[in-house]
Amino acid sequence: MALSMLRRQPDSGLGNIRSSGGAPRRNIDWTLLVPVLLLSVIGIFSIYSATFWKIEGDPYWFTTRQVIYALIAVVILGMVMTFDYTMLRERAAFFYGTTIFALVLVLSAGAIRGGARLSFDLGPFSFQPAEFAKPVIVLTLAGFVSDRRDAALDYSQFVRAMILLGIPVALIIAQPDLGSAFVIIIGALAIFVMAGIRFRYLLMISLLTVATMAAAVVAGIVDRYQLRRIEAFVYQNSTDESLEEFVFQVRYAKRAVATGGWFGKGYLEGPLTNGKFVPVQQSDFIFSAIAEQFGMIGGGLVLFLFGLVLFRIWRIAQTSKDMFGTYICVGIFGILLWHVFQNIGMTMGIMPVTGVPLPFVSYGGSSLLAFAIMIGLVESVHMRRLR
Amino acid sequence: MAVMKRSSRLAVLGTIGAVLFSALGLRLWFLQAVDAPVLEERVQANKTRTVRLLPERGRIFDRDGRILADNERVLTMTMSWEVMRRTADRLELFRRLAPLLEVSPSDLEARYKSNRYSPLLPMPLKEGVSEETAIYLIQRTEDYPGIDVSVQWKRQYPYAPIASHVVGYLGAITADDSLQYRELGYDLNERVGQFGVEKSFEPYLRGTPGYVKYEVDSRGVILDVVERKEPMPGYDLQLAIDLDFQQFAEMTLETQLRIRSYAEVCQQKKRVRDEQESLLRGRDVWVLDEEQSRIQGRDVVKLVPVIESARIVDENGQEQMVPVPPCSNYISPAGSVVMMDYSTGQVNAIASYPTFDNRWFNSGVDSDKFSQIFPRTDDPNKSILVNRAVQGQYNLGSSFKPFVAFAALNTGQLPGGVDYRFEDRYVAGKDRNGNPIWNNGAYFLRYGPNCNASAQEAAQNQQADIDTATGRDRRTGAKCVYRNALCGSTNRPCFYGTDIDVEDALAVSVDTFFYKIGEELFEERRAPDPRNPGQTVQPFLLQQEVRRFGFGSRTGIDLPFESAGRVPDQEEKDRLAERYKAFEAEQEYSGGDNVLLAIGQGLLAASPLQLAQGYGTLANGGEVNRPLIALALLEPGTPNAVQPGFADVSRSKVYLNLGAKDTIRTIDMPAEFRDPIVRGLSRVITGPGVTSDYYHSTTGEKLFERYPYDLLPIAGKTGTAQGYLSLPWYDSSVFAVFSLDPSRPVVVSAYLEKAGFGSRAAAPVAKCMLMGYAGAIELPVVRPSNPLDINSTLPAPQRELPDRACLSGAALGGRD
Repeated sequence: MALSMLRRQPDSGLGNIRSSGGAPRRNIDWTLLVPVLLLSVIGIFSIYSATFWKIEGDPYWFTTRQVIYALIAVVILGMVMTFDYTMLRERAAFFYGTTIFALVLVLSAGAIRGGARLSFDLGPFSFQPAEFAKPVIVLTLAGFVSDRRDAALDYSQFVRAMILLGIPVALIIAQPDLGSAFVIIIGALAIFVMAGIRFRYLLMISLLTVATMAAAVVAGIVDRYQLRRIEAFVYQNSTDESLEEFVFQVRYAKRAVATGGWFGKGYLEGPLTNGKFVPVQQSDFIFSAIAEQFGMIGGGLVLFLFGLVLFRIWRIAQTSKDMFGTYICVGIFGILLWHVFQNIGMTMGIMPVTGVPLPFVSYGGSSLLAFAIMIGLVESVHMRRLR
Repeated sequence: MAVMKRSSRLAVLGTIGAVLFSALGLRLWFLQAVDAPVLEERVQANKTRTVRLLPERGRIFDRDGRILADNERVLTMTMSWEVMRRTADRLELFRRLAPLLEVSPSDLEARYKSNRYSPLLPMPLKEGVSEETAIYLIQRTEDYPGIDVSVQWKRQYPYAPIASHVVGYLGAITADDSLQYRELGYDLNERVGQFGVEKSFEPYLRGTPGYVKYEVDSRGVILDVVERKEPMPGYDLQLAIDLDFQQFAEMTLETQLRIRSYAEVCQQKKRVRDEQESLLRGRDVWVLDEEQSRIQGRDVVKLVPVIESARIVDENGQEQMVPVPPCSNYISPAGSVVMMDYSTGQVNAIASYPTFDNRWFNSGVDSDKFSQIFPRTDDPNKSILVNRAVQGQYNLGSSFKPFVAFAALNTGQLPGGVDYRFEDRYVAGKDRNGNPIWNNGAYFLRYGPNCNASAQEAAQNQQADIDTATGRDRRTGAKCVYRNALCGSTNRPCFYGTDIDVEDALAVSVDTFFYKIGEELFEERRAPDPRNPGQTVQPFLLQQEVRRFGFGSRTGIDLPFESAGRVPDQEEKDRLAERYKAFEAEQEYSGGDNVLLAIGQGLLAASPLQLAQGYGTLANGGEVNRPLIALALLEPGTPNAVQPGFADVSRSKVYLNLGAKDTIRTIDMPAEFRDPIVRGLSRVITGPGVTSDYYHSTTGEKLFERYPYDLLPIAGKTGTAQGYLSLPWYDSSVFAVFSLDPSRPVVVSAYLEKAGFGSRAAAPVAKCMLMGYAGAIELPVVRPSNPLDINSTLPAPQRELPDRACLSGAALGGRD
């Protein structure tokens, strides 16, 4: 348990017979954990700056919740770390089944927000199954791919892997949550690349992805609203009134980033952040609040911390004792990388706006917990690399 | 195997990660380092919203403090657009608001849909709500979300239509002016002075706008007041206009124009039996009509109108001949009067007809109604929105003669100067049969190169080949003979005798005297050209002299659209030829042009204000003073006087004195030149005239018979400017007159278009003004006007002089 780790006796280090150098608890990768913790703290402060005016009489409404999520996330992270990831391999099917069930359920019983059923409404908190689908699918695919003996993925394996991937992705597209679906596909792609997939299969996945999304659009599952965001991305200086909402969102986010300069306007001194110019700044556009208040230095620090996290995951993938661990790390690497690139990219106008939060930083419990699980998995791989 | 492959594949993923991260890093750097300065500026602009606070416009007073232009505080209820976005909410809100605002919900909805209002400012729901209603609504903002009240100023003209041409009106900034006003810091939806002193003093009257700077969020919701600057009201303007005289002038002018339009006038007649017969041959024949010739047993000669038909070019460019009636009423459509203090240049009254009520311009009538009242027209008789006193471009007729007389004396053109005597009866030549051609009240050009009938030539080869009816040389078509005005008692050109000096010439308006000056000043005064030795140049001496009185250049009065007029010379003719094809044929400035100029005809163009300025200069002994329409700009906030309708100008502080004499130039006017001119002009009023064949009275003698001369001695000159085809009902009437008492320095000019002889139409108007000034008659009381009648179709209600007695007494005879 994570708590036992904290309660570790001073003498339980060197010379303790029970704990050899290869003991998992002595191989925690702090270089991975500390940046994640720092990012979460930065996130909490930024969320405060972007939300203190939102709920009259309670400036800490969002911040309090985020702190609670973070505490829960720490617990979850610790719990996942303590599990031997190899044992999760057998339970992958169970997790997978539960996730599919939750995804089906959310389609029929989820709360509707902005024309999409993304989450279960559980009183003060809400719960987004799509977020939790991310680690589960990574786990499932990693298990499936590492089962085979051959060097390369053959066709029947590929088809089965595609079915494993396709079912949850299709359900997520149906919500519709294109952003999450795309993230999962990227994670799966990373695993497939790692598994030595043939190029033509890669092409097939890309085509399938495009075809599925196109079908979703044609079928009317993805409505005009979401397409508008793509349009707004292509025409970032459009004066079309129907695009105004999206164009302005990105425009002000960009301005917030740009006007931060080197050192930023100072904490709680950002005119655009204080002026409520950027909608949903606490979640999807949190980076604009950071960049405006802390400037290039702050934005650069966030990027650096993410780089560090990603580098550690990449490194752990390399040092994993088995391919299962490597696949887990690679899948999570892909998901995290895409989250960061997509989110910060859209804030700075080089990616279209999709509802993808910035890991650890953005406001939102499901996302934070899901990433805690993922980091926990990676940590678990690292801790057991010597066993 | 696995390990090796793992490494290489991880390398691929790592590279992709590194690339994506570099992209983010680059973009961050680019945004913050490169784009930042541009975007930073926009953020500042986005963060605050400035709402302009319009200042109260300066008020306009007459010289006694009567409030000619005032401001009414208008409360306007407004509604935020945000609140009205949803149709159901909006209709509900309108339904509840309508009874309080006393409008119908559909009117409010129509406003919402009209696209008339700026989306940046709240939509006005109703203008001019009562203070109580405004307070009631403002206190219930929770019931009427988004409602607000804005304070605006509405211009009032309490005495309209008196002095509408002077005061002017406000209007929207036109597209043409928008750039200019934008540079001056105007909002393009502001109303600005478009006419009168409202226009010319716009920068002073407007005041300085203030502003409130709000901090707003992305939806435009006001968060905080950042800065507030109160507007500075405009300066008040005190005019030199005396509204008593202004109203009197307008009434007199309008009444007289109406009276004149009832008068009938007939064309001069000519004999048809023998067109070849020289008018010079036998004056006994000239007077014969059918009746007389029957009695006298001579040939029956039929007299017919001089012009029986005229060539008209219609709208399609088609020429056609239309019959011209022998008699017609005067058209008498328009006119103007100026009354000025010649010692200072202060203008006490300046009237123009047709007039209008300047309240039409903020009455809110729709454009159809507006164009019904102020129709677009090319007919100069009907233009309303011109101040004819400053914008008119008129021939001045004989009223121009005093300046010509001065020019002749001042240039030494008259042999002997003031002692010069003109003989109005001489042998101009001999006809084919060797009989002497007497000039008989006409002037024969002596230098006209195309005039075969120049006196000497005619005498030598006896080929006086002149069409006596038109005065043109038959061979060349050049105009060679210029006649005096017809004398009513003989129906022939007047003959004034052989002993005419300058004084006489002015007193009885001897045209031939001035024709001679005109020709000789042009032909006899060529000077060596300093640039081309051996060549001579035409110095245009007459032009030089009269320009010094202010003709041909703007007086500089503070009223818009003043015209400079024209003193014709070669340059002006070139300019005309450039502009109008008709002038190309006779582009060279000739002696004939100068002859016409000498009697204020031809290409001369001047405004009644210039005429008043010129007479003022004669009156004050040579000072050309800029006419002053205003006395002073006063510091904002002149208090109202106890007497309603008046402001207490004595209690206000002068910001800028505008009433001080502003002498443009001083003409050196020796008494020996001025005195005979002034004497001649005073004889116009008092007589006597001259006696030649019989007594020729002066043009004003009979009109001013009952004038109280001892109350206010005056001197003046009539003028009749011939118009189209020289038909008499196109004659315009001019009169200019000044006081001979320097302690009461008044000069009046009146110009009545197409209203007949100067002594008949314009002079009575001026006489009324002078009698009013002298205190001989009581001026009608000035009262604040009734509210504008929106249903009227007239630009201004008709006004009538209550007592017309001062207009009566016009001379029976008519000539100038």
